Amino acid sequence: MLSDWGAVFLFFVAAVIFSAGGVVTGFVLAPRRTTAQKVTTYECGVDTIGPTWVQFRTSYFLYALLFLIFDVETIYLYPWAVKFQSLGLFAFIEMIIFLFILIIGLWYAWKEGALEWM
Amino acid sequence: MIPDLSLIVPELAMAVLGLMVLIFGLIIPRGSRHGLGWFAALALLGVTGLVLAGWNNGGNLYGNLYVVDQFSQFFKITFLLAAFLVVLGSMRYVDRHLGGQSEYYSILIFATLGMMVMSSANDFMTMYLGLELMTISFIILVCFRRLEAKSLESGMKYVLLAGMSSAVLLYGLSLVYGITGTVVISEVGKILAMRAPLPLLMLGVVMLVAGLGFKISAVPFHMWSPDIYEGAPTPITAFLAVGSKAASFAILIRIFVVGMFGISLNWELLLAILAAVTIIVGNLVAIPQTNIKRLLAYSSIAQAGYILVGLVTASQDGVKGVLFYAFLYVFATVGAFTVASHFYNVTGSDEIKDYAGLAQRSPLMAAVMVVAMLSMAGIPPLAGFVGKFYLFMTIVENYLWLAFIGLIMSMVSVYYYLRVALVMYRNDPLDSTPIAVSAPVTVTLVVAMAVTLFLGIYPGPVAEVVNNAAHSFFMH
Repeated sequence: MLSDWGAVFLFFVAAVIFSAGGVVTGFVLAPRRTTAQKVTTYECGVDTIGPTWVQFRTSYFLYALLFLIFDVETIYLYPWAVKFQSLGLFAFIEMIIFLFILIIGLWYAWKEGALEWM
Repeated sequence: MIPDLSLIVPELAMAVLGLMVLIFGLIIPRGSRHGLGWFAALALLGVTGLVLAGWNNGGNLYGNLYVVDQFSQFFKITFLLAAFLVVLGSMRYVDRHLGGQSEYYSILIFATLGMMVMSSANDFMTMYLGLELMTISFIILVCFRRLEAKSLESGMKYVLLAGMSSAVLLYGLSLVYGITGTVVISEVGKILAMRAPLPLLMLGVVMLVAGLGFKISAVPFHMWSPDIYEGAPTPITAFLAVGSKAASFAILIRIFVVGMFGISLNWELLLAILAAVTIIVGNLVAIPQTNIKRLLAYSSIAQAGYILVGLVTASQDGVKGVLFYAFLYVFATVGAFTVASHFYNVTGSDEIKDYAGLAQRSPLMAAVMVVAMLSMAGIPPLAGFVGKFYLFMTIVENYLWLAFIGLIMSMVSVYYYLRVALVMYRNDPLDSTPIAVSAPVTVTLVVAMAVTLFLGIYPGPVAEVVNNAAHSFFMH
């Protein structure tokens, strides 16, 4: 029993050494010559134009959240639909209740103006 | 196929109620939603009645994942009464400072539902589900004053710390699962009772203590609570201090007394030290506070330390003490915070020095504050004295030093509690206009004070109920 966990422990130690080793070696060996190019936000990417702390519209996030509701709904609906024949009436009623709760959520979001693009 | 749902009627009722309040908020136009608070409060009382009606029906559901016993039912009644008092005490606050939003009540009901699930969960996953339902609801409630930077800051802190503590807790749970191969708490108890504890299990136990220590704000995991208590809307602070803590104690007891009973020798001392440090730090740091909410926050940290004492011996008497203390703590804390909240509504201040002469401006508020604080300090004949008596009686035999620490620190706490009382009764008010107390707030205050006095003078019936509840807990 203990030897099983001993293997896990050894694995853990090796993982720590391996990951810390790379960082430490790089830190010790790497030359440090800072140039203007190197301190930009994305060294190998396209130069940023204007300030990088731009604000996004919260509407994006609201849409993403609403999308998530239906995404999760699909995840639950799919196995239920596959097994529909054997699950019977009780599962059907349960799913109706589940959908009902989601619809209340959508109704709420709609009413509160989450679907308007302001 | 269809499970027997009669046992979880209160939980189902709460879920329906939460959705109903949300729908009412959608249908009823803004501005005429004042009745919603009353509706929520009365419905919460109704659900309390449902729990009481099913008091003698015990049993478990879904293959022992969900247990309904007197222990969980007692906690459910505690949560529901706390929610009832908080809703009553916050109607005015909601209308005035939160724009009368119906979501407030709905989310509060869902937080209570999460607590109820926590108290009944006999399985790590179900427990975690309840915990997250409660925590996420609380995150929203904490930053409900969304135009105020302080409220948002405390909400952000709560998100981060709740996430971190949940991660630690989950890691601990996964270690325990890895060793025992089951997530059902009573099964974990059976397996651990037969096996010598592994070092890895100890790591899991330490992580569980740390994760739950955040939730009950035990020192050294308490740093978040004063900041969040200060920034959150005051009624929510009361509910956070009461409900979240009591629910976390419910799962702490279930995990440790049922799941870890076989290895109790290994964690008793750990909890004893945690309790001692919590009592000492909570009380000492409360002394220099000048803000009433921060003072109450530190005092509630100290209270968590006292409650933790009941867990140290893992005995029926200890659990009884925890249940009794959690119950009276609800009323004392809600009373104190409702005074603070109403005072803030009228004066816009949370500073203790502004409480000068409150006894002349509103005798009821001053009296409730004093009764609540003296009860927390453990002065007879108030409920806190009886509660502390039950708690410390269990540890006198084996952990006398802890009992001494508790006793000395209770005396220290009298100092800072009485300082508030002195300000209220001795100092002259700067502005002597009387403070009118609205009807729902009066109900909350009077109930809180009456229960605190009653439990102190005549603790018999409740003591018997908690004794039976603790006993039912040790049968399986």
